[in-house]
This record gives sequence, C-alpha cells and structure tokens, in this order.
Amino acid sequence: MITYAVFFFFAAVAVIFALVVILHRNPVVGAMSLVASFFALAVMYVLLDAPFLAALQVIVYAGAIMVLFLFVIMLLNLQKQAEEPTRPIQQFLGYAGSAAFGIGLVYYLSKYAVMELPVGPFVADARAVGVKLFEAYIFPFEMVSILLLAAIVGALVLSGRAVGERAEIGTEVSK
Amino acid sequence: MIPTQWFLILSAVLFAIGVCGVLTRKNGITIFMSIELMVNAVNLTFLAYARQFHQLHGLIFVFFVMAIAAAEAAVGLAIFISLFHHRATIDVDEANLMRW
Repeated sequence: MITYAVFFFFAAVAVIFALVVILHRNPVVGAMSLVASFFALAVMYVLLDAPFLAALQVIVYAGAIMVLFLFVIMLLNLQKQAEEPTRPIQQFLGYAGSAAFGIGLVYYLSKYAVMELPVGPFVADARAVGVKLFEAYIFPFEMVSILLLAAIVGALVLSGRAVGERAEIGTEVSK
Repeated sequence: MIPTQWFLILSAVLFAIGVCGVLTRKNGITIFMSIELMVNAVNLTFLAYARQFHQLHGLIFVFFVMAIAAAEAAVGLAIFISLFHHRATIDVDEANLMRW
C-alpha cells in the first residue's frame, strides 16, 4: 500500500514540475524544476527495481547535465531577456495538438496496455547491468565513449572564439 | 508491485508535456529542457518494459540514452552559446539563416 502512495505522490511531483518547466518564463526556475522532476523520476526507477539507474539518473542527469544547463543560462545572463510570446495560432496548435496527442496516448494505454505482472524478483542492480554491459554490449559501450569524445571536441570548437580572433589573442600573448 | 501500465501512462503524460514545450516556447534553452523531458519519459518506458519482461536490455538502453543525452546537451548548449555570440539572443525564431 505504501508503494502506491509513493508512486502517486512522486508521479504528481514529476508532472507538476514538468508543467512548471514549460510554463514558467524564467529559464532558471525551469531548470531547477526539471531537476526536481528528474529526482521524482529517480524514485520511479527505484520502484521499477532499477536502483543502479536511479543513482545514475541523480548523478548524471540531475547532477551533471542540469548543472551544464544552469551554467549556460547564467553565462548568457538570460533572466534579463524577456521571451516574446509565440504567435496565438502557434500557441493554440501547440497546446491543442500536444493535448490531443497525450489524451489519445493515455486512452490507448489505459484501454489496451493491460499487462499481467511478471512473477519472481527482477534483479537489475549494478552487478547485473555491469555484466551485461561488458559482455554483450562492449562494442556499443566503446562507441559511446568515442561519441562523447567527439561531443567534447565539438562543444569546444562551437563555443570557442572564431579562428581569426584566436590568432590575434595568440599574437598578443606571444608579444 | 505497481502495474506496468501506470508507469506507461505517466511516461505518456510527461512526453506530451515535453511536446507541448517544444511547440509553444521560443527560448532555445527551454526547448532543449523540454527535449530532455521527452528523453526521460522514454527512459521510464524502457525501464517499465524491462521489468515487465524481465530483460536487462531495457536498462542498457537507458544507460546509452543517458550518455547520448549528455553528448547532445554539450553540443546543443555550445550551439546556443555560439548563436548568442552572433545574434545576442537565443530566440529560435531569430536563427533563420537556413529557413526557406
């Protein structure tokens, strides 16, 4: 019974903070709400017998990725820029379209996705995930490490100064 | 144990909220956060089905999705910084150089 209470409480937390993310004008408030929503989702992962991924969710998502977002928001000083509202037709189509999509999906799932719960415990701790990752998925794992390296280089190239500017700075330093 | 269906419904609601954010907002960072919301909704679906069918593949996929979301966030935010340097705004309507 307590698990049901935990599920409903944290489901409500996740949905409410997700709504704050898309409705609030200030991006810093949006980012902090997204962190709260990710924490609620981490609780969902624990309820789904995946404690390792819940820890990853907190460390990688709520920790690393959202800190990156907050750094960029503060670096660009975005709080002072008022965001212009979108065109009314775009607002209407966006809200109506996503509401229709969501209601349709929820209707379909609540009607047809009735599944019997599996019997027996499901072990998905760090050991089980690690063994699977380094046996069956070793090649994709290495590929992801190369992808992350490429992303680092790409982020440095994109956010750095233009080549001419960098050359000027270099000459100033060498003088 | 909580039925798998309920997790799927929660995931669908979160995904629809993310879609709504992408369609109605103009601030590039907020659109990006909405995309992260959708990615997380899909992760929840992966884990729900992983428990339903007692398969570890779903968990491995969530692991990879997290890694790729990190790469995506790094490159995307770098693009926004570059856009801000050139246009002094991150309004996505202003980035219309390649628009037909």
